[in-house]
Formats: sequence, structure tokens, C-alpha cells
Amino acid sequence: MKALFEDLAADPVFCVCALVALAGALTVVTRRNPVYSALGLMAAFVSFAVIFVKLSATFLAAIHVLVYTGAILVLFLFVIMLLNLQEKELGREAGRGAKLAAGLLAIALCGLIGWAAFSEKALHEPMPGILDARLEPKGDVPAISVSAKADPAGDTADWGGVRHVGMAIFTKWAFPFELVSALVVVAILGAVMLAKKKLPPGP
Amino acid sequence: MLKYILLSAAMFAIGAYGALARRNLLIILMSIEVMLNGANIALVAFARQHAAVEVPGHVFVLMVMAVAAAEVGIGLALIIALFRTRRTVDTTDLTEPQG
Repeated sequence: MKALFEDLAADPVFCVCALVALAGALTVVTRRNPVYSALGLMAAFVSFAVIFVKLSATFLAAIHVLVYTGAILVLFLFVIMLLNLQEKELGREAGRGAKLAAGLLAIALCGLIGWAAFSEKALHEPMPGILDARLEPKGDVPAISVSAKADPAGDTADWGGVRHVGMAIFTKWAFPFELVSALVVVAILGAVMLAKKKLPPGP
Repeated sequence: MLKYILLSAAMFAIGAYGALARRNLLIILMSIEVMLNGANIALVAFARQHAAVEVPGHVFVLMVMAVAAAEVGIGLALIIALFRTRRTVDTTDLTEPQG
């Protein structure tokens, strides 16, 4: 526990981002008006992108801002504006008992995962340097990295960058990637079919 | 490492609370997004912890993002279709099979 607080004190960027993300998430689940929820979601998404950068996942951070904040959140706001919900159309809130039960369940869930994480020794170790992990082979993982093969100079700063993730997607994970594209096409067709306005028959 | 997992657990729990305790369909969908993001943080943190040759964690997060985008597209289309016929986004008003 003491080591965790020392770790947090040494990392103010993470503390700020985590607080903003938690506050944003709490805004999402507590506000009655969905517009405030969407704004809270935006705060959480942006701070998540910063945390991704801290974890050396620079490509994912950029994609996260583009996809979540740029596409998903805008879609949410667009639908909220399109529906233009009035007070009675927002519906009733759940009762106090249901909220209490859900809250207790959520706290129990969080406590369970936290307990499991605390009792796992490997999670208490500090993160390894990327350079070290590259040079020393680990188990059956060979020492040559994907990005070192693509770039003979082997700049280690590219870990988690576009080239590194791109090489992984388009070589080893190419088939799952194509399956995802099929999923997205099906989703587009489904969304169009569902939201298509039925026009009255012509004269 | 531990702090990322704890943040991930907290985000997932908040999202689970929202999905369970709220009745507004839009907010339930947003809560599911919060849950998916909590899982993403854990995936990226584990990928960084085992900073090995490959980044399957990052690839997995990209898949999660694509699935989330598809899910939101379908979900919002469903909400629009429902709202046209029922004039409500309250889940308790949507219990009968036929309107």
C-alpha cells in the first residue's frame, strides 16, 4: 500500500488524469440530462488518451481521440440533439433501492478486482524499460522485435508507435483485422436499415 | 502497474453501476463505453508491462474500439427507431413486445 502511494506521488500526470477520468465517469452515470453525461464522457476519453501516451501507446492514443472523441461522442451528441428529449420523455429514475443495490454491486466488483490485483506479486513490480525488454529474450520470445526488423537501426522509441502496431496488425493479426472490417460493414448496413425513415407511399 | 489496474477496475465498476442503475437508454450505452474503456486501460497497461516483441494488447484494443464503434452505431439507430414509435428512452416503458 505504501509503495502504491509513493508510486502515485511520483506520477502527478497519472493522478490528474485518473481523477479527471473518474470524475467524468461519475458524471456520466449520475446526470439526468444526457448532454452532461456526454461531456463527462469526453473528459474521461481525453484523459484516457493521455494515460495511453504515458504507457508508450502513442498510436492508440491518437486513434482513441479520433475514434472515441471524434466519432463515437459526436454520434452521441448528434443523436441527443436529434431526439431533443423533453423532461417527461427522459423517463423516470430508478428507485433508491435499485440504485443502492447496483452501487453495492459495483463497489464489490471494484473491491474484488482491486483485491486480486493487490495479492498478485507481479503487479507490484515497476514497469520494465522498453529497451531492456527488447534486448533480453524472455522465455520463448525472441530478442528481435517487429519494429527492429522493419527498421535496421532499431530505434526503440517506436515501441507502440504506428510502425510497430501496423506491422503487428498487417502480418500476424491480418485475419482478425479483416473480420473486424466485415463486422463494421454489417454494423453500417444494420444501422441504415434500422434508422431508415419509412416514407409514406407515393401517389 | 498496480495503479493502472486499480483505475481500470474503478472505471469498469462505475460503468457497471451506470448500466444497472440507470433507465435512460442513452446513458446505459455511454456506461457501456466507460466499461469498455476501463478494460482498454488494463490491456494497454499489461502490454506495456510485458513490453515484449509484439503488441497483441494494442491490437486487441484496436479491435475493442472497432466493436465499440459498431455497437454505438447499432445502438443509437435502435434508440432512434424506438423513440420514433414510443416517444421515450426509458427502459421500463419498453417492456411489452408489441407497441
